[in-house]
Amino acid sequence: MIRRGFIAAFRAILADRTAAILLVGSAILYSFFYPTAYSGEVPTRLPVVAVDLDRSGSSRALVAKLPALQQAELVARLSSPQEALAWIEARRASAAVIIPDGYEQNILRGGQGAVALYGNGAYLLRSSTALSGVAAAIGAAGREAGVDQAQASGAPAAPALSLIQRPLFNTREGYGSSVFPGVAFLVIHQTLLMGLALLAGTIRERQGKRRLPAGDLLGIALAFLVIGLCDVAYFTGFVFWFQDYPRAQADAITLFVAAVAFISATVAGSLALASFFRTRERPIQLWIVTSVPIFFLSGLSWPSEATPAWLVALSRLLPTTPGIHLMVGVNQMGASLEEQSGELANLALLTLLYGLIAYARFSARRVGAQETLPRNR
Amino acid sequence: MPTALLESMKRELDFLRRNFWDLSLVTWIPFILLAAVAVQMSAGVMRDLPIVVVDRDGSGFARELIRRLDAASGLSVAEQAPDMQAAERAVRSRRAYAVVLVERGTAEEIQKGSTAEVVAFYNASYSTPSGAALREIGAVVQAYAAQLATTQTAVVLGPGKIRRPPLAVRTTILFNPQGSYEFQLVALVHPAILHLIFMVAITSALGRELRDGTIGSWLERWPRRDAIYAVAGKLLPYFCIFMGWAVLATGYLAGFRGWPVAGSIALILLGYATMYLAYIGAALLFVGITLTMGTALSAAGLYAGASFAFAGAIFPLESASTFARLWSALLPYSAFAKLLAEQWMMGAPATDSVRQILVMLIFLLVGAAIGLPPYIRAARRPEIWGRR
Repeated sequence: MIRRGFIAAFRAILADRTAAILLVGSAILYSFFYPTAYSGEVPTRLPVVAVDLDRSGSSRALVAKLPALQQAELVARLSSPQEALAWIEARRASAAVIIPDGYEQNILRGGQGAVALYGNGAYLLRSSTALSGVAAAIGAAGREAGVDQAQASGAPAAPALSLIQRPLFNTREGYGSSVFPGVAFLVIHQTLLMGLALLAGTIRERQGKRRLPAGDLLGIALAFLVIGLCDVAYFTGFVFWFQDYPRAQADAITLFVAAVAFISATVAGSLALASFFRTRERPIQLWIVTSVPIFFLSGLSWPSEATPAWLVALSRLLPTTPGIHLMVGVNQMGASLEEQSGELANLALLTLLYGLIAYARFSARRVGAQETLPRNR
Repeated sequence: MPTALLESMKRELDFLRRNFWDLSLVTWIPFILLAAVAVQMSAGVMRDLPIVVVDRDGSGFARELIRRLDAASGLSVAEQAPDMQAAERAVRSRRAYAVVLVERGTAEEIQKGSTAEVVAFYNASYSTPSGAALREIGAVVQAYAAQLATTQTAVVLGPGKIRRPPLAVRTTILFNPQGSYEFQLVALVHPAILHLIFMVAITSALGRELRDGTIGSWLERWPRRDAIYAVAGKLLPYFCIFMGWAVLATGYLAGFRGWPVAGSIALILLGYATMYLAYIGAALLFVGITLTMGTALSAAGLYAGASFAFAGAIFPLESASTFARLWSALLPYSAFAKLLAEQWMMGAPATDSVRQILVMLIFLLVGAAIGLPPYIRAARRPEIWGRR
């Protein structure tokens, strides 16, 4: 019985071009297509304009140091802050360095020369990290310039504390390497779900509600488990390597157990949901629109600490929420199964819950009966 | 109004009334998806992000630093780990986003008047919360160092030596002074969700007629010009419904949440309207070329589903590959995201945004010119109906 369901599932996929493309083609397509959005991985030089209102030796010395900054690229020297604002509005520059009048006077008096750095808040996410880098670099460059000028009053004392920042796990620190390793598992989840539901909808359309014996259902589930595990192997083994994302921090057995837990919950959820579809195209139409909110709910890009507690609890009903934490944790951060036991338990409970729903839905049907209601399209 | 347009509109509304799931796709499903994002990000700034501290020094300075870290609004010291292994375990099981390590000898360094180093390890796999935690840790360390300069270093080196560093860089974030992620993200995610659902809904509406073979009885009887009106009438209900969602989403963020519109609300809504028109062009193109509902739907999902990553609003695209920049230019959402930044956040002159509107209209013209003729012709070609 299990064997029959297993083989029938693969036959159905091979016989259905759309399902095959959805299950196999789209995973491969996405694995190349999506990372190109982040192909500018290396934090690039922020285009910056400079406005020197002081026109002194010190300010010129500071402006002269700007082109050498690693974090910023000086694209223009402008004469007024209004002009700089216009450049930012037109997106020709991402930030403006403005040296106010009286800058040199302040330094010579032994005071502090203030430099203003304006960043574009309309692009907060992409510029906030780069801005703090540019601010630090200008500070360092200016300190040298200031020290040259202020020899007479002696060098300032060193600060009592300084902070050193070290990334853990994702040492490349690119956008892609922090987002795509999560997105990959969303892609696997969505393609499995839509592919399975599309096949279920097609069978329902052609043969009406069919009762599936538990063995057949298990066989179908195992077939999709195999496909899902192949997806995981493809992404963690090839794509992450090809894109040079952080990977393979866990041993093979840990990764395998984690993948089985995630894919089992995904397949169980997909079977439960698929039992409700009566039309072939319906699952694509209704489910493809959910990807962006589901990804945010997973808590990889937006932390659960800043999400209302009831929404965090609800998001735990989606296999992607514990699944993405678990897979990123194991594969990128090298977490052990014990450290991720909460996510594993979450996935096991979902597998049980959705498995029971799927079983109840498919076993309650009449044997071989044709659907008598008019087809709902 | 031409009868073809009115009749088709009525026919489509009737269809929506009778079909629960098609109606769902334009009513409660968008509502849930928009609400989920809006509710999730309503906190705007991240508070009390958990961190772990490893104190190898055990001095009063270290204790004071830990107290200050815990008191910072953005941080909460979840635990003090005995060693780095335990601290990293806490990060790997996501009980903390960062580890602050105070090395042995910190107190001595401070008392000698030299610089003691504090190390912050952060989980770069969760870059948004870790970045926020890191900025906060930096601010706490800097503030404490400034205070130590007056109380400690002055004692060692004498008050004359104490000067502030000669240069201070003050960073100001223009257009989003609170640095709110809610403003930035929700403003962009809502139109990203809306254009995807819109495109899926109209691709389904157009493709369904081919699949069910109803395109003949609906479109065949009209002459060519009226057939164009008929297609417009079919899509009009969707356009109106989604303009309603656009007004609601904009009203929520601008009115209810109070994020001021620096430019023109009218231009933002005009931007929404032209964005929908642009995706009508794309849908006509896909349906006209494939003449198959399932394939057109999959193509629509691929085309409109990844807009958010390729728009260049969240991730910089300037340095991305040629393919990514080309793909971005081929998405109407990229132009809309620019218009949104110009009109909502930056208050740019209207003439700047007219450019984006014209760009989006090109999509409608090109898509309709290529996709509409084969679609209308298909009404007289029963042999291609019913393809799955």
